[in-house]
Amino acid sequence: MSSSLDILGIRHHGPGSARAVVRALESVSPACVLIEAPADIPRDVIDLAADQAMQPPVALLIYETENPRESSFLPFSEFSPEWCAIRWALTSKIPLRFMDLPQSHRIPVTKNFAADQKTPEEQGSQAEQADEPPSNSNAPVDPDQVLRLDPLNELARAAGFDDGERWWEHMVEHRLHEAELFPAIREAMVALRENTPQHQPGLRNHLEFLREAWMRKTIREARKEFDSVTVICGAWHSAVLDEDSLKRFKKDDDACLKGLPKVKTTTTWTPWTYEHLSSASGYGAGVTSPGWYEHLWRSPDAIIERWMTRVSRMLRKEGLDCSSAHAIEASRLAEGLASLRGRPLADLSDMADACRSIFCFDSDLAMRLIHRKLLVGERLGQVPETAPAAPLQNDLQAQQKRLRFKPEATTKTLDLDLRNETDLARSYLLHRLRMIDVPWGVPGPGGAGKGTFHELWMIRWDPVYLVRLIEYGRWGSTVAAAATAFVQHRAAETHAILELTSLLGDVLLADLPHAVEVLLYRIMNVAAVGTDVSALMEAFGPLAKSLRYGNVRQTDKEQVRQAISGILPRIVIGLPLATASLNEEAARQLEANIMEMQTGVALLEDESQQNDWLDCLDRIARTPSVHGLIQGRCARIQFDSRRWNESEISQQLSLALSHGTPPEQSAAWIEGFFRNSGLMLVHHDSLLEILDQWLSTIAADVYLNHIPLLRRTFSTFSRAERRQLAQSLSSGQTTKTQQAKPQPLDLDRERASRIIPVLKRLLNGTVSQAGGV
Amino acid sequence: MTTKNGDTTPGVSVLRQHAEDQFKHELEALAAADDRPRPPNWKLSPWAVCTYLLGGTTPDLEISAKYIGNRRLMEIAVTTLATDRALLLLGVPGTAKTWVAEHLAAAISGNSTLLVQGTSGTAEEQIRYGWNYALLLAKGPSREALTASPLMTAMNQGSMARIEELTRMPSDVQDTLITMLSEKTLPIPELGDEVQAKKGFNVIATANNRDKGVNELSSALRRRFNTVILPTPDTEDEEVEIVRRRSESLGKALEIPAEPASVDEIRRIVTIFRELRDGKTADGKTKLKSPTGTMSTAEAISVVTNGLALAAHFGDGTVRAADMASGILGAIVKDPVQDQATFKEYLETVVKEREGWKDLYRACREMI
Repeated sequence: MSSSLDILGIRHHGPGSARAVVRALESVSPACVLIEAPADIPRDVIDLAADQAMQPPVALLIYETENPRESSFLPFSEFSPEWCAIRWALTSKIPLRFMDLPQSHRIPVTKNFAADQKTPEEQGSQAEQADEPPSNSNAPVDPDQVLRLDPLNELARAAGFDDGERWWEHMVEHRLHEAELFPAIREAMVALRENTPQHQPGLRNHLEFLREAWMRKTIREARKEFDSVTVICGAWHSAVLDEDSLKRFKKDDDACLKGLPKVKTTTTWTPWTYEHLSSASGYGAGVTSPGWYEHLWRSPDAIIERWMTRVSRMLRKEGLDCSSAHAIEASRLAEGLASLRGRPLADLSDMADACRSIFCFDSDLAMRLIHRKLLVGERLGQVPETAPAAPLQNDLQAQQKRLRFKPEATTKTLDLDLRNETDLARSYLLHRLRMIDVPWGVPGPGGAGKGTFHELWMIRWDPVYLVRLIEYGRWGSTVAAAATAFVQHRAAETHAILELTSLLGDVLLADLPHAVEVLLYRIMNVAAVGTDVSALMEAFGPLAKSLRYGNVRQTDKEQVRQAISGILPRIVIGLPLATASLNEEAARQLEANIMEMQTGVALLEDESQQNDWLDCLDRIARTPSVHGLIQGRCARIQFDSRRWNESEISQQLSLALSHGTPPEQSAAWIEGFFRNSGLMLVHHDSLLEILDQWLSTIAADVYLNHIPLLRRTFSTFSRAERRQLAQSLSSGQTTKTQQAKPQPLDLDRERASRIIPVLKRLLNGTVSQAGGV
Repeated sequence: MTTKNGDTTPGVSVLRQHAEDQFKHELEALAAADDRPRPPNWKLSPWAVCTYLLGGTTPDLEISAKYIGNRRLMEIAVTTLATDRALLLLGVPGTAKTWVAEHLAAAISGNSTLLVQGTSGTAEEQIRYGWNYALLLAKGPSREALTASPLMTAMNQGSMARIEELTRMPSDVQDTLITMLSEKTLPIPELGDEVQAKKGFNVIATANNRDKGVNELSSALRRRFNTVILPTPDTEDEEVEIVRRRSESLGKALEIPAEPASVDEIRRIVTIFRELRDGKTADGKTKLKSPTGTMSTAEAISVVTNGLALAAHFGDGTVRAADMASGILGAIVKDPVQDQATFKEYLETVVKEREGWKDLYRACREMI
């Protein structure tokens, strides 16, 4: 145990720490480097960090092989000290080891603990929430936790800085040498931790103890092999990893690490974004402003001036006036503010105040425009293709490459022209991904007036989608296969016809022929036992349309025909039942559905199908117990499609308006039949007569009750129609009879007959001897 | 022209003392304790100026707060002046723009009197220089025949100049400032000469953003100013504190013999002003009409001092509701028809129902 041990306590994602770590490593050149990261990450995955194609921000994704939902990310940016140390060790070919508690233990320990104690707030990060990037630490909630995550930041706050980085820079870059720096940090941490008891209840503390024990164990092992070891860990842990602690805790460590439960894990690299690195995303060890840190890391000098130049360039892009003079003044003001506030270096808050005063005339509107781009940054990392990937992920990457469709972290609007083959394939891909819960694209507002061949999407890639790809990997090894299998699974699970029909719509958009078959089969089965005809009816309209006119997506017509001939009979059978005993609201809904259906059916080319449908409506129109609105509508459809003539209609109308029928039923019938078409009444006197009679015979109080209902119908007539109706009613019965039976004209028969031969010649002999004229 | 600082005997005959005289002891104490670097020609370091404005302590003396509110604003204002950019204080009337400007000038240069009041009749000579025509005719153009403007004097002395109501000036007059602010020189083409500003010269301008669009600053001029917007006080407590301190010190300066108004009395005034300004009651439950006036903190202060004076000269020396009522009415009712109705409505719906406000209600009712 005589080998030398250097402990470098750092700030996670602190550019200043990163610089210091690299310098320290170069000056010490240890024989072995230990890094605070789960120890079960395989060698070949770690080695990929040195690959040229690897571009941070990236994250290590570790998940339970059997259950990919149990996953956690270990993010690195180019300014993370751990990242710099990994790269340094790999390029200098110095043995590198990870020393944190392996995830293979951590996942079951967390689970067991949660099961034992049922402390809901503690479970948060690891289990169940694949959406949020959990990490090696939970989201900060209590001040104690904040302290643990970034104790140096808290020290900086105590020293009057808003942000740990500038304090670090001030303390470290300008004063201390690395040789003194890290021991000093360790001392500070020892002092801080003296006040925190070792064994506290709670998962976090339990895990912390296990983690630190594992770290010590790894360090002990490394020291046996190598004569100099450098440890890179979060500053908080540095206090308990020194030589003294190594000896003191040896027994405890061995005891508590014995017999830990274990699961199998898999690790891979995944591209990451600055947004997920920022603490606003819920990432515990996150930083407030990754954009600022990147700036600190990348700018060799003139940090304030470069920052202000960036601000003014961004504002200029947004169309605001920003001269270089603005940037100059802002830099000077920021420096001035810092010195007034007693800081040797300008902090992010000084920068923000200066920007606000100089660029935006003391209002923060303009700064909000560029806030995300400036302070968070929109960088998306890259991972070499050789990184181990789930088959589904490989398939997606291949398609992205083929379709020249790169994932980006910024939100963009994409206008696909479906006539173009590549765009159509992109659309299919986006639709399929949506089926497996990867909403890379969200359909934008329908491109009104731009033609049906346009499809608008809002696209934005989120790294957590990778987890879903891995999770859905069990459904298939290509996007299409996984989507098909998953849709089939969902179809088998659900009994809601509405869900099935909406799935059917999605599947047709995503071009998954096999899934269509399964869905149709399933819909048939569910519809057979269910009564929800309206869902089927809603699905019908779009299907009929796409069958008749086809669509630009080249959906297989045969499939649609199949779908229609599967659905229509179900509707025809189910509809009469569905019309029984409805209240006003349900009847209105069903009437709308029937109208929609009628438009759809009219588009079909198959006459027998149309007849089936109309027969069904005929039955409904004649069934006495059906709501008047629906009866009226059905009667109207019969009339419009010339299956009922005027006398038939008159009969039905007078039946509906006869004494035996309750007046509200009559009023509803009238609405269903006449709505939006006063011309019917203008041109069919017999109907007007029946209506007129009915109105004049009903009792006064009933009449008053029904005025609103009738008004509702008649108010849909156009002004001209109403005027005509009023005229013909006021002129009374006599005019009507006159119109109906015009008096014989007083003709000179002889002269008239002279024209007939000429007419005969003109009309090519079709006029027979018209004796009656 | 302006009265030079030393010309009046401080503290005896004038109605209102300049800031540098009234707070002379504080400035001296700060200067004595101030060991931080001072920009050239500054009487105090920027840090001490901040302390002077926001309050603090020196070994000998408690420094009273001149501005109660956001620290950030004062820091930006002071830093701006230290970076030789001009400072533009914006805000609705009565948000202490002039007050802050005066104290800044007093603390930095020890002289708050180099002042140009912007009006629609302000001419270029008031910004640049005029001529003593008798001398001009007798001797021809010369430096002696020149009468300096406050700005020119400030350039010569290297001290702060103030411009009140910048946006009330005609645009062409405003633009004469551009050269002075960017090149820190004032050309005198008649003499082929110029005045070059000494270090320490800077301009503090105030403008009212309620009368926006009167004479909007050209963007060239605007770029030469750093803008600080002074808001109305955030919280009721803050505003009560402002009104209390100012009315107390005003009462002292005006030698009003009455007892200072109680905090409760002030709180009532402030509540009325805040409610009418925000258009809703303090509990946020009732919507109110807002009167046409600005209802600023400054007006609340004058209502309280007015009440003090009334109590002292016509009452028993203790400020009562009746003493306040006339002041309140005067501050609120600027438009005799509309505002009167607004205030009546406020009285009947809010004041009447409020517990412990009966006396105020009665006093106000009597006035209308």
